[in-house]
Amino acid sequence: MQDVNRRTFLTFTGLGALSIGALALTGCAPGTSGSAGGGGGAAAGTIRFAWWGGVDRQKAYIASLDSFSKSFPEITVEPEFGDYDAYQERMTTQMAARDVPEVFWIPSPQVLTYRDAGIYRPLDDIDALDLSAFTDAEIKLFQLDGELNTLPKSMFSPILRYNKTFLDQDGVTIPEKLTWEGLSELLIDYAKNNSGGHKGTTYGAYHDMPFESYLRQRGEDLWTKDGKLGASTESVAEWINWWETLRKAGATTSISEQDGIQPGWGDTGGKILMSFANSNHIVDEAPVFPDYEFDQRDLPAFADAEAGYHFTYYSRFAMYQGTEDDRVAAAAELMNFNLNSLDLLKLVGLSAGAPPSAKLLDSYESSASADEQKVIASTRDVATREQRARSEAPAGSGTWRDILVRELEGVTLGDRSVKDASKNFVSAVTSEIEKA
Amino acid sequence: MTALSDRGTIEPPESPPESTPAPTPAKKRRRGASHERQGWIAHIFLLPWMLGMILVTAGPLVASAVLAFTDYDLLTTPEFIGFDNFTRMAEDERFWAAVRVTLLYVVVSVPLQLGFALFLAILLDKGLRGLSLYRSAFYLPSLLGGSVAIAILWRQIFGDAGLINTALAFFGIEADSWLQNPDTAPWTLIVLNVWTFGSPMVIFLAGLRQIPEELLEAAEVDGAGRVRRFMSITIPLLTPIIFLNLILQMISAFQAFTQAHVVSGGTGGPLDSTLFYTLYIYQEGFRSFDMGYAAAMAWVLLIVIAVATGANFIASRRWVYYGDE
Amino acid sequence: MVIAHPTLDSLNPDLDEKKPPRRSNGRGKRLLRHIFLTIFALLMLYPLLWMVVSSFKPSNLILSQTGLFPSEVTTENYTGGWDALGTPFTTFLVNSGIVAVGSILGNLFSCALTAYALARLNFRGNKLYFGLALLTMMLPFHVLIIPQYILFAEIGWINTYAPLLVPKFLATDAVFIFLMVQFIRSIPRELDHAAMLDGAGPFRIFWSVILPLMQPALITTTIFTFIWTWNDYFGPLLYLTKTKLYTVPVALKSLVDTETQSGIGIMFAMSLVSLVPILLFFLFAQKHIIKGIATTGIK
Repeated sequence: MQDVNRRTFLTFTGLGALSIGALALTGCAPGTSGSAGGGGGAAAGTIRFAWWGGVDRQKAYIASLDSFSKSFPEITVEPEFGDYDAYQERMTTQMAARDVPEVFWIPSPQVLTYRDAGIYRPLDDIDALDLSAFTDAEIKLFQLDGELNTLPKSMFSPILRYNKTFLDQDGVTIPEKLTWEGLSELLIDYAKNNSGGHKGTTYGAYHDMPFESYLRQRGEDLWTKDGKLGASTESVAEWINWWETLRKAGATTSISEQDGIQPGWGDTGGKILMSFANSNHIVDEAPVFPDYEFDQRDLPAFADAEAGYHFTYYSRFAMYQGTEDDRVAAAAELMNFNLNSLDLLKLVGLSAGAPPSAKLLDSYESSASADEQKVIASTRDVATREQRARSEAPAGSGTWRDILVRELEGVTLGDRSVKDASKNFVSAVTSEIEKA
Repeated sequence: MTALSDRGTIEPPESPPESTPAPTPAKKRRRGASHERQGWIAHIFLLPWMLGMILVTAGPLVASAVLAFTDYDLLTTPEFIGFDNFTRMAEDERFWAAVRVTLLYVVVSVPLQLGFALFLAILLDKGLRGLSLYRSAFYLPSLLGGSVAIAILWRQIFGDAGLINTALAFFGIEADSWLQNPDTAPWTLIVLNVWTFGSPMVIFLAGLRQIPEELLEAAEVDGAGRVRRFMSITIPLLTPIIFLNLILQMISAFQAFTQAHVVSGGTGGPLDSTLFYTLYIYQEGFRSFDMGYAAAMAWVLLIVIAVATGANFIASRRWVYYGDE
Repeated sequence: MVIAHPTLDSLNPDLDEKKPPRRSNGRGKRLLRHIFLTIFALLMLYPLLWMVVSSFKPSNLILSQTGLFPSEVTTENYTGGWDALGTPFTTFLVNSGIVAVGSILGNLFSCALTAYALARLNFRGNKLYFGLALLTMMLPFHVLIIPQYILFAEIGWINTYAPLLVPKFLATDAVFIFLMVQFIRSIPRELDHAAMLDGAGPFRIFWSVILPLMQPALITTTIFTFIWTWNDYFGPLLYLTKTKLYTVPVALKSLVDTETQSGIGIMFAMSLVSLVPILLFFLFAQKHIIKGIATTGIK
């Protein structure tokens, strides 16, 4: 492998010089300003702000930006949004061209990919940034490898959600101390005996956050500190086996019924007693079935689960490395608004997760809807637990969920054994990471 | 020449093809004195295209060709790695899965779609009331394009509780989702492609309109039956348009992306059974950030399409009849 | 090719459909054809029908209650969808219209010139150019889009329609070059020669012989360009990031959240709204495709 310098590269390309040149340039010299300076000066200028989501979120954020521009008439915010896939496609292209919005959300599998690409601006030297809502310990938690270059915009944890209406119909109770084994029995029993012809759950082996919790309970990490896959082949196999047992016992919806490995809530939500989800999902998903009442609780755990397996996932956002110095203050104000504004929270609600600032959550509580109260309860519950440190997904791991889905397709279609699928999964994810 | 624009009453010196216009041997084109002069005139006509080639197309085209020999993650400087991307293809199972499903798609869906389009174009050509209504009805599916709505529509039809399975249940047959079975999933996409036969149909309709009524009538007077008239007049005169449609649909089938992307949610599943070639290129380029490999695959595809197109052009000399020959 | 004394029906497009069928075609056969076509049309249209029905269901019922007969009917998807992105949907329709019309003009202008030169003029490199033009159709756009984006970003064309329109005026849609070449090639060369004997140069021949005769190709190009640009998603997604500049497909796709699938009802409703202009356009263009060919007199 030989690194081509720019000159030979250009000569090589002939006609393509123009665009290739741009590629090489953008690759070598990220952005305009370094980390020096910034933070001073008046907060003014035009800031591009990028996020993803569906129609409700777009509405809420657009409305909130109106309120932002009332407080900061000197700052113009240009929103750039799309659905999750569109957002990433656009972001990728913009990153390749070094034409990135000043403030942007970070998709969870890309946190370190984006960092390795050098598009985060260090945040510790920006005076305008208001982190007073957080303790030093919290701020330390937000850092990536000791550097504060992203901030959490919201947080959530894996939970087990159940249909309270169904539960009451058949007089089922969930034991306070729930093990994986106990849950499995409960679901199988329910599917066999319930009066409504419901299933226990959807086939949910693809769920990333419960999977991570399962691994942590077994003393492993999904991602290790040094940027590798932490899951052992045995643990992956155990996880898949847990689901296979349910599926074969008829406790889950069939793959055909739920239209693939990744079921949609709208198709399946009315057919099942429980589902794994993130603590915030109830806000969007419960209203799809207005006739039912939903609630959520802590995940099951092994009797001998490793201490500190609970975790909070921080969904992050960042400032672009190439933000011009005279706009850094304005971009910081926009970040403050996202971190600390009760007005914004009232507009967007908790559908994307709880605010990382506990103070802000407290002041929001009185305006929270019934479903949002459940999010708050889960959030506070997890906050009281011991939490072992977790690492973000390393660069190159962005496709790990696709790989898992593919292997699960193989297992459920009878194309390969659980053992082989687990091996394939570990080796494919590992080789993707090594390639990056 | 003013007569031309005036509902042309033109009497060209050459006689029309006979009522059974077997492909006539190409007449020698008149070249010579005009050749040189036409050279620079041609380049005036070609000016916009050449500008487009140089300014818009060539750069990215050459760039992608160069990137095919690099390791390029979109975010850092490309690194030259020789033929590694190409040798990697040979061992890449997903690559071969993509090749298989794409070939199946091209070979099956193109003739089916063209046959459908031609059949309906003939049926819709003339002689019935309300034809333009029918035409629009048949064209509507094509207008939906790659809309997200298609994904949901397709589940309503081929899904577990979809239209087809509901119909089958009526006859006491139980079936699973056609989209979740790797054996049937590619076929649902073939059906989707055939369903959008509107584009080639419109081209066929335009072509049918060019066929002289007189020829057909003369043949009828000569006692030729419907089938014979169709086979020996309509079809031969339509060959340039059939050829055009064949090439266009073949290229677009090789590059089929949107439908598979939308219906499988971008995964190409189940088990890579709908992983169309360009969907794989997209996954490698935009999801795995491996634009070098994506570019290499793209150029392999270009070569395959070019060869297939070239072969078709050569074969076309045997069966396509042009009015300018 | 053929000496055309246009018959009555070729001059009047409306007659085309009222013309009595040939005598061999009995009433029964006609009825049979109608029945076949109607059944077939319904089959083709069922999915659309389902979409129409769904667009009048409350959003949460669309996926959980999939029958054709809704238990609840609402127009909230239409009323709520219109302003859902903080910009009225008419803006997106107008934007798409601008891009579509601009692209049509661009393609007609540039591809007709190119196709004429490639199909009719003798010069060195003719075949090479034609091959090159075809070649540009064969590379999947996913590997071109990023270098192209970088190019246009360098020029400063992001958030303008230029990256979508300028290439059309430079004949980058080789499909239409190919389409027009094929149509021109089926026009008898003798017409050119006759004009040449009258002293017409290539420009006159192009303008007064070829252009009028290739109307079907021009109209086909118009139809396809309209529909393709109307449905084009990836280009506008990348080049137009301001909501006010969004085209219809970009707006539609930002309505639905991939994870929760909220907003599906609105997306259906607005998809149907955006189908109306294309449908009208198609009906209109269809009329002209017939008329256009009829008036050229090449029969």
